[in-house]
Amino acid sequence: MTGNNLADYLTLGLIMFSIGAVGVIVRRNPIVIFMCIELMLNAVNLTFLAFARFTPTTAALADRAESFMSGQMMVVFVMAVAAAEVAVGLGIIMAIYRLRNEIDIDEMNLLKG
Amino acid sequence: MGNFELIWWVLALPVIGFLIQSLLGQRIVGLFGRTYGKKVAGTLAVLPIAAAFVLGAGLTLTLLDMPATSRSVVMTLFDWITVYSISIPFEVVIDPLSMTMVLVVTGIGSLIHLYATGYMAEERDYTRFFTYLNLFIAAMLILVLGNNLAMMFIGWEGVGLCSYLLIGFWYKDIANAKAANKAFITNRVGDWGFMLGMFAIVAFLGTNADRFPTGDGRYLSFDRMLPVLASLLSENPGIATLIALLLFVGAMGKSAQFPLYNWLPDAMAGPTPVSALIHAATMVTAGVVMVNRMHVVFEFSPVASGVVAVVGTFTALFAALIAFGQTDIKKVLAYSTVSQLGYMFVACGVGAYWAGMFHVVTHAFFKALLFLGSGAVIHAMAHEQDMRWYGNLRKYIPITTATMTVGWLAIIGVPYLFAGFYSKEAIIAAALGNHHATFLGGSTEFTGWLLLVGAALTTAYMTRMTLLTFGGAQGRWQQPETYEAAHADHHAHADHGHHADHGHHAHAHHHGHAHEDPHGFFYTDEEMERREALEPHEHHHHLTPEYKPKEVPVSMWVPLAVLALLSTGGTAYFMEHHHAFQNWLYPPFGGEHGTGLTMIKGHPVIDPEAVSGHPHGMLGNKMALVGLSVLVMLIGLAYAWAVYGKRLPDKEGFDMSRWAKFRLWAMNQFGYDAFILKLLVYEGGKTVGNACAALDQKVVDGIVNLTGVVAQGLGGLARQAQTGYVRGYALVMLMGGVALLVYLVSALSGGVR
Amino acid sequence: MTVFMVLSTIAILAALGVVLFSSPVRSALCLVFNFFTLAFIYFGLKTELLGITQIVVYTGAIMVLFLFVIMLLNLGGPQTWKERFEFRTVLGFGFGFALAAVIASQVFANFQYFDKPQAPDSFGSPQALGRVLFTHYVWPFEIASILLLIGIVGSIMLAKRKL
Repeated sequence: MTGNNLADYLTLGLIMFSIGAVGVIVRRNPIVIFMCIELMLNAVNLTFLAFARFTPTTAALADRAESFMSGQMMVVFVMAVAAAEVAVGLGIIMAIYRLRNEIDIDEMNLLKG
Repeated sequence: MGNFELIWWVLALPVIGFLIQSLLGQRIVGLFGRTYGKKVAGTLAVLPIAAAFVLGAGLTLTLLDMPATSRSVVMTLFDWITVYSISIPFEVVIDPLSMTMVLVVTGIGSLIHLYATGYMAEERDYTRFFTYLNLFIAAMLILVLGNNLAMMFIGWEGVGLCSYLLIGFWYKDIANAKAANKAFITNRVGDWGFMLGMFAIVAFLGTNADRFPTGDGRYLSFDRMLPVLASLLSENPGIATLIALLLFVGAMGKSAQFPLYNWLPDAMAGPTPVSALIHAATMVTAGVVMVNRMHVVFEFSPVASGVVAVVGTFTALFAALIAFGQTDIKKVLAYSTVSQLGYMFVACGVGAYWAGMFHVVTHAFFKALLFLGSGAVIHAMAHEQDMRWYGNLRKYIPITTATMTVGWLAIIGVPYLFAGFYSKEAIIAAALGNHHATFLGGSTEFTGWLLLVGAALTTAYMTRMTLLTFGGAQGRWQQPETYEAAHADHHAHADHGHHADHGHHAHAHHHGHAHEDPHGFFYTDEEMERREALEPHEHHHHLTPEYKPKEVPVSMWVPLAVLALLSTGGTAYFMEHHHAFQNWLYPPFGGEHGTGLTMIKGHPVIDPEAVSGHPHGMLGNKMALVGLSVLVMLIGLAYAWAVYGKRLPDKEGFDMSRWAKFRLWAMNQFGYDAFILKLLVYEGGKTVGNACAALDQKVVDGIVNLTGVVAQGLGGLARQAQTGYVRGYALVMLMGGVALLVYLVSALSGGVR
Repeated sequence: MTVFMVLSTIAILAALGVVLFSSPVRSALCLVFNFFTLAFIYFGLKTELLGITQIVVYTGAIMVLFLFVIMLLNLGGPQTWKERFEFRTVLGFGFGFALAAVIASQVFANFQYFDKPQAPDSFGSPQALGRVLFTHYVWPFEIASILLLIGIVGSIMLAKRKL
């Protein structure tokens, strides 16, 4: 698998990200929208890891571990935040469902000016 | 050089007195108890003024010792205003004119302060009164001593403020508050003229800055401004007329000349010492002082001088006629003051500036005397000011009668024996001999003849007042038929107490109200009760047929006696003898270039002989003029004696329906005051107010509302974008993100590849 | 190379499935597939620990949560969620493609030639990750833990009917 170059990974990431973005806009089901957001987050994670693997480090920083660990660290925190976000987001959906007995996002237009 | 530093003490002493009265006055009264505390506070109020007078007298003597050509000392305390090239220091000038006024202000001021300690003894706000009075002296001294127009203006406004505060001293009566407002607002018109004149001078000098001494921005200082003005205005008579007329508008307001005179009679609502000090002796002469100070400007404008003379003449006659319709003793004196101020302005108009100042001084003596005497009468007569109640008072209050008689003889101009004669004679002679002022292309000699008529009128109305007050066989308040007549015409009776001295007391008694502050705009009931408990309401005796007038206490008649002494011919004789006063103010040096202009250390001084001549023809003989004066005086005396010698004529009694038409007219100022009030306050004010309201509501509010409507419309448009659909927002976010990315890519890498 | 191609094809198809299936359950299952293949791609990037974490956290925890909520709210029926055709949908697709195009233009222009992994093969090992996480990144780590705590409390607050 060493034959892959950085652009391959980035292409996969960007395709996933775009699909996620389109999904957020076209779907009405908030749970699916959440899934699309997760999709986008994972695309970003993939990008982070690909850069972490392929980006050259400078000689001065080569002997410092954190110089090439930051990408992975970012992914760790993205995962943590994503977990928290899903927990809260799904809680909100539950609360809305309980309040209005449906969760069609197009019916929720209280922000209308 | 004498010790002219003392002038700062002259200025500081009244200020110190003011601070003591305002900050410590109530404590002092509290510390020593009501009776003694007021005496201590009163003493502390009189002493600084008296000390200032002593210092001023010393400085005047020093000035007298100096040669006439160097009698002008400018003292600077600090830089007050420096803006661009104009610098206005806090500076005073010590010269004959300013020191004359300092002596008048502090001398008569201290006498009136002394008088007021007795007159106001029953007053609750005793220290407040002296606070204002001391502040007034300080402001007046700044006015007369200031070496630039800005400082003069500070004093000008300061005395205006004190006048306002003192007219409205008994603020609980709405009539007094209205009178105070009237005085203040009418004076604003004059101040407008004064300020415009000041600005015109600055603008005029600014455009001719090359004529100004270089490196010195004191455009408003007299010792810099006046010489430059003297040389510039001779080339620009039009500008001279403009500046002179603007300044004269200022003088009109402060010195109560037609058409701005009508605040002064209403100002009698203030306590009588205030009427004597501010509205007769000092403040109202500020206009004359200012014209004297700026006489160079008037000198180069015969047209403006003519206006001054004619306005003065008209005011003198008009006010004298009105005085015949007045029943309030203080109102008579108020119109008399307006009339006499007219005389002073005639003198200034015809170029005899010194004669104007001379009359200021003598008038200060005898008019202060008359006012203080009227105060003594009012004091003795249970605060009744209506002369129709008086009569035969010579039997009850002999000292007051004697001193007031001196004042009466002084104002009617009894030859040689009394002060008024000398100054009035000088004014009439100068007016008859005028060859300076022009009016409608002709000389203003006619003003002299009209002033002679005015002298007859003065004699008549002053004699009327004196006879109604002191003459007659029996006091009218003791006569039952007077009572019946008065109560038959209840309206007239209630009317008179309206502007009365101690108006609120009189009011309360006439209408049987027990509590003060009927309008309730100052004290709550609890506060009122506390004040009553602190000092029980002083009971004023109502004027009943059994009432016995009592002579005034010593602190009140001593000033009367001193002023009576000053009003006799002695002082005026020494001032007039060998032109002493004239040469003191305007030393005759013939002048340079035949202009009659002398420079006394920067102050240009015009030789009065060069401008104001002597009467010619038959009147060239001095005795002829004296004879004429005596003749008109005798005519006035004869008329007054014939009408008022025995009793109050029916045509001026309590029954207003029997008043003759002229009398009614005169009482109402020939409709002038009502007309002005209607034109400018009620109708005109309402019209302007409605116009302003319309402008505000339609135009200004319209603009404001328009911005609101525009914002609302734009907001409505923007509102359409807020669909409330979350996915719509997400789409816009995506679009924005793409746009941002496209921009970044093109910006960072030079275009999308 | 071919393994990556296979995995990425599966991932893209799964991602498309997430968006295109009208049933949320199917979308969720597609997402599981996607995450699973991503985990393998992570392995290929020698970040083994994160790959395992991916499987455990996403496919294990998060996706279970999704399915749980879907089941709980009884949203499984595909017939309830017929998508309406809207102008916005067209715009969404259009801008999605535009986004992909813009990023792709940069990716292909600049990153074609990074074909040599620079990081050491052991950089994804638990030891390496743990050492950095608990030394250099200890503060973000702690903050993330507090965030998760708040997330727990918040979701309980939201989901509970009555406290």
